[in-house]
Amino acid sequence: MSNTGKALGQLLPLVWAVVAILIVWQLVIAVFRPHVSLLPPPELAARELWTLFASGDLFVHSGTSLARVLSAWCITGAIAIPLGLAMGWSRRMEKIIDPFVELFRPISPLAWIPLAILWFGIGEAGKVFVVCVATFFPTLLSTIAGVKRIDPVLIHAGQVLGCTDQVSLFRKVILPAALPSIVVGMRISFGTGWAAIIAAELVAARSGLGYLIANGMEILRADKVLVGMVMIGVLGVCFDAFFRYLNRRYSWGES
Amino acid sequence: MNTASKPLSIRGIAKTYASRTGEPVEALKSIDLEIAAGEFVVIVGPSGCGKSTLLNMLAGFGEPSAGEALVAGVTIRGPDIDRGMVFQSYALFPWLTVAGNVEFGLERKGVPRRQRREIALECLGMVGLRDFADRGINELSGGMKQRAAIARAFATEPSIIFMDEPFGALDALTRRFLQKQLLQIWRDHRKTVVFITHSVPEAITLADRIAVMTARPGRIKAIISVDLAHPRDSTSDRFRDYERALYAELDEELVKTLAAEGRHTAPAAVPG
Repeated sequence: MSNTGKALGQLLPLVWAVVAILIVWQLVIAVFRPHVSLLPPPELAARELWTLFASGDLFVHSGTSLARVLSAWCITGAIAIPLGLAMGWSRRMEKIIDPFVELFRPISPLAWIPLAILWFGIGEAGKVFVVCVATFFPTLLSTIAGVKRIDPVLIHAGQVLGCTDQVSLFRKVILPAALPSIVVGMRISFGTGWAAIIAAELVAARSGLGYLIANGMEILRADKVLVGMVMIGVLGVCFDAFFRYLNRRYSWGES
Repeated sequence: MNTASKPLSIRGIAKTYASRTGEPVEALKSIDLEIAAGEFVVIVGPSGCGKSTLLNMLAGFGEPSAGEALVAGVTIRGPDIDRGMVFQSYALFPWLTVAGNVEFGLERKGVPRRQRREIALECLGMVGLRDFADRGINELSGGMKQRAAIARAFATEPSIIFMDEPFGALDALTRRFLQKQLLQIWRDHRKTVVFITHSVPEAITLADRIAVMTARPGRIKAIISVDLAHPRDSTSDRFRDYERALYAELDEELVKTLAAEGRHTAPAAVPG
């Protein structure tokens, strides 16, 4: 009961924000009277949302984008988490790999889109590649930080309690101690990946929410663009909330 | 639950390390100390005298620059589950429950699951935390955390337990309570205990023998045997005599420490 109350309390500000946006939107329409292809009134956008919803197109596009992000995100996790653990644990590993990270990190994942198209064409592989780039560094850096922030006294405690070899120490102490930070990295990287997939789909795709938006622009249908944008926002918020929940579960009641 | 405790000999242990500027800093200078099996030895000394450095080397974290320490004749090389440790900051694993923490070392020793749980509950009962076995670490107060850590250290039946200012972060009342509890456990188990503190009353309450360390570089300055029956009454005349003697030794070192730190005012002796 109190849990539902809490959930409502968290949702309420969001509801207010949506109402405020709708009011401002309606005001802009009333004052500037823009052409419907530039900014349709909310009800027209809502009708298009319903059309795309009923035809199932909205699910197809959302599902396509999500599938791309999730597959890339899993690939990244499988590479960046072990690498981050190694870099956080071994000074030497960090020294060797860190310069590469420093060089590649400032390059926006979007700058990889042209190369991705050249290398992989406009199929799935190129888009997954771009999202991999976008999710890689947040995951890696959080994992490294998670290992480095482990209180050395926990490692000593593990050692006097029988983890005298590196493998058991890693499995029983380092990994669980770094887990909360790894989950944070996964959450952040999902956000960056979600942003990157839309951009990649804007440039080269025949499906996905980014494609929906780009297509709407080309056929002068701002309502389609708006529906796509709303969907991007809604899914982004939902996934962030889900990861926040995971985060709380795996942080052992610490703030 | 009775396995033999073991004697510890510290022979000429010294530790010199390089400071940030690269100059060698002498932290410990030739420490010699023989500790009998089942003995409770407390090491006191001014802060920065290297007593924690010494204890860490005994636990196997770091090599001495010279000398060696032997447990029942075997040189210490690296940490081992046979030498338990209780840390000032508790060092409990926050991803495990209270019982999970106590079972950690038992699992490493290969004790079967059901037996682990049994031993964990027994050890938690010994520190009055049986009802908290399935709680999370962050639900416990500081005093309860340290009791859980003590249960964890005793659960694996090590032959020696090192305690690095275990009650230093606790309030005076909790501290007194835990001292009593620790003494009871020690008398039941008869483990060799090496305990670090900078509290003089704590040292006299607990110790069979007290080793007083000098200011840096740390050496053993004096060894005082406490011939008082347990439980010790901290208001008795003899307790007070020990206090006076111990403060006298320590004040001398404090003056040196403060002088070394470049302060010119040394406080007068503060009897407890």
